Amino acid sequence: MSDTMIQIDNISKLYRLGTIGSGSLRRDLHQWWKSRVIKKDDPFFKPGQSADNISAEGNYLWALRNISFEIKEGEVCGIVGKNGAGKSTLLKVLSRITRPTEGRVRGRGKISSLLEIGTGFHSELTGRENIFISGSMLGMKKAEIRKNFDEIVEFSGISQFLDTPVKRYSSGMYVRLAFGVAAHLDPDILIIDEVLAVGDAEFQKKCMGKMKDVSSQKGRTIIFVSHNMQAINNLCTRAIWLQKGTIGCSGDTQTVVNKYLGAFQKKLWKEEWKPNEQAPGNEWIKMLSVELIPQLPDPTAPIDIRTPLTVRFRFQNFNDQINLSTNLVLFSLTGECIFDVPSASADFDKGIIEGECIIPGKFLNDGAYYFSLFFLKDSSRAIFEYEECLHFDVEDYRENINWYDKWVGSVRPHFPFALKEYRNGVYNKVV
Amino acid sequence: MADEIKWEWEINKRTTWLGASLRELYQFKDLLFRLVRKDFLSSYQQTLLGPFWVLLQPILTVLTSVLIFSKIIGVSTDGVPPLLYYLAGITLWNLFSEIFLATAVTFTQNAQVFSKVYFPRIIVPLSVVMLSGLRFLIQLLLLFIALMYYYFTGDISLPGSIILLAIPVVIATAGIGLGAGLIFSIFTAKYRDFLGLLQIILRLLMFVCPIFYPMSIVPQKLKWIMSLNPLSTQFELFRYAVLGKGLFTTGEVLYSMSFMVILVAGGLLLFNKIGDKLIDVV
Repeated sequence: MSDTMIQIDNISKLYRLGTIGSGSLRRDLHQWWKSRVIKKDDPFFKPGQSADNISAEGNYLWALRNISFEIKEGEVCGIVGKNGAGKSTLLKVLSRITRPTEGRVRGRGKISSLLEIGTGFHSELTGRENIFISGSMLGMKKAEIRKNFDEIVEFSGISQFLDTPVKRYSSGMYVRLAFGVAAHLDPDILIIDEVLAVGDAEFQKKCMGKMKDVSSQKGRTIIFVSHNMQAINNLCTRAIWLQKGTIGCSGDTQTVVNKYLGAFQKKLWKEEWKPNEQAPGNEWIKMLSVELIPQLPDPTAPIDIRTPLTVRFRFQNFNDQINLSTNLVLFSLTGECIFDVPSASADFDKGIIEGECIIPGKFLNDGAYYFSLFFLKDSSRAIFEYEECLHFDVEDYRENINWYDKWVGSVRPHFPFALKEYRNGVYNKVV
Repeated sequence: MADEIKWEWEINKRTTWLGASLRELYQFKDLLFRLVRKDFLSSYQQTLLGPFWVLLQPILTVLTSVLIFSKIIGVSTDGVPPLLYYLAGITLWNLFSEIFLATAVTFTQNAQVFSKVYFPRIIVPLSVVMLSGLRFLIQLLLLFIALMYYYFTGDISLPGSIILLAIPVVIATAGIGLGAGLIFSIFTAKYRDFLGLLQIILRLLMFVCPIFYPMSIVPQKLKWIMSLNPLSTQFELFRYAVLGKGLFTTGEVLYSMSFMVILVAGGLLLFNKIGDKLIDVV
């Protein structure tokens, strides 16, 4: 039912590193002589050979290497990857700004790209002029801009400053105006590079809403690069993970995002000490192991806010007839205490003791955390404090929520919470 | 399966000599006019005199040259009032130098925009030509006023239908500026040395163009240097059309015109073929 809008066929892009210009004329001529005149293959232009994307000579970089995929009509394709993975280069190739070194891209329909906020803005000119300049640079016709003019002004909320040079604008106004123009583009394929990273929360929400409209109501095809996994998760129907210029993984958004996040999350949530090893401890206690066990649907997935976590630790108790209890204290990376949970206290003899605490899923907020273990005698006196036992990250996960900003609060528990509608004298639960 | 799809466009590593089709260029006509407007408006922002600079610049240049070349050095102007003579030359020179200078920095000036959005790059030099043409028309008004003044004081007689000759001359001059500018833009994009060279070239060229002196005073022995410069003939032709005084041969005219055609064609082809790859090295 859906047709292919863009077909990316084995494209590669090679960049030369270092200075271009001074002293390179000789090499330029040499290369030209070899490749064009005597038709010998340029030694550098052979894609798909070494594993690393920097060539052995160190002067060339494969920003993209043998990338192939297709995007169908109405699809919203998210592209994720670390800095320098080739995301922007890919978008530049797709939007015809730079040529691929190898391969080809074929497509249908009008393509508009939004690689920067405020493309073509001239700081000396008024907001009014700039709406027209930026609009026509992004590929809008004069009549189209005229038609949308009031809407753009309203969207950006700058009507008072329409005849002021944009250099006098605050950065927020500038960004709003710029996005206002861009939001009224009406191409068949829209390419967007991380433009949502600007502006305040309210404005970001507005932008995301606009993008969602464009994709769902108008059925436009969108290619979207972002570091905001929530935005990718919510907007995109599929995703591609770029890794050092190649496709690391491609497919359903949730899977790709999970793999991507999972790859960067520390997978080793365990510390263990052999009996003769120097382990944290003192004359009372000696640590044997401490471990964080997430209950993940599959081992490659990252810990997200839904994941139940089990903390299991073992320690050697050196004293007979001692009343012991343990506190598990969780801190956010900034050192703010999230909770302090005590275990039940009991009497122990010399030997190995295991403790286990379960932090339920849908409780922690997303963020970076570490926990500490405090060992108490008679529930009052601290005999050993093992601080910063383990660090771990909790990724965000949201469903059916049009809010992409950082969720506030130390925890994000799911409490029963319902809204009821007053009708015919009774309050009826809506959902 | 893939064969069934009718592709509308393709991006590959090959760049073309002909560049964007006329149909594509037409789609970007709004952008073209917008760029002209933008450049015109932005060059007079925060100035007291605004667009009057278009007229002020030639007036000041002409007054200075009258003082130096006519009053101090005493160069002959073929019996034409010096002010009129210099004004004609400077008006045409401004057209050429503006087009040449502005197109030669197409890539260096627009690198920021070129790296963020696609449109046929030739739109930018075309907008330069249009804007310079517009300024030229305004300055032509000044020339017309001067012409009228000297006609009523009885110093000159008005040109007849020969003045129509000025049209191809203006086109040819603009063409030489555009062609040379396009070729230069490729070099300035890659090697910044050429930016410095631009000013020098323009200054030298100005002296080997008969702007402040007529071809008739050039010694026979050195005439070949002047004739080698395709612009010289255009200046003589222009003055012949407007003031009725000029020295040129059919050979020179043919040489100058064919030079222009080759330069424009070559410039456009190179700009399209190489310019498309330049964004990676600007």
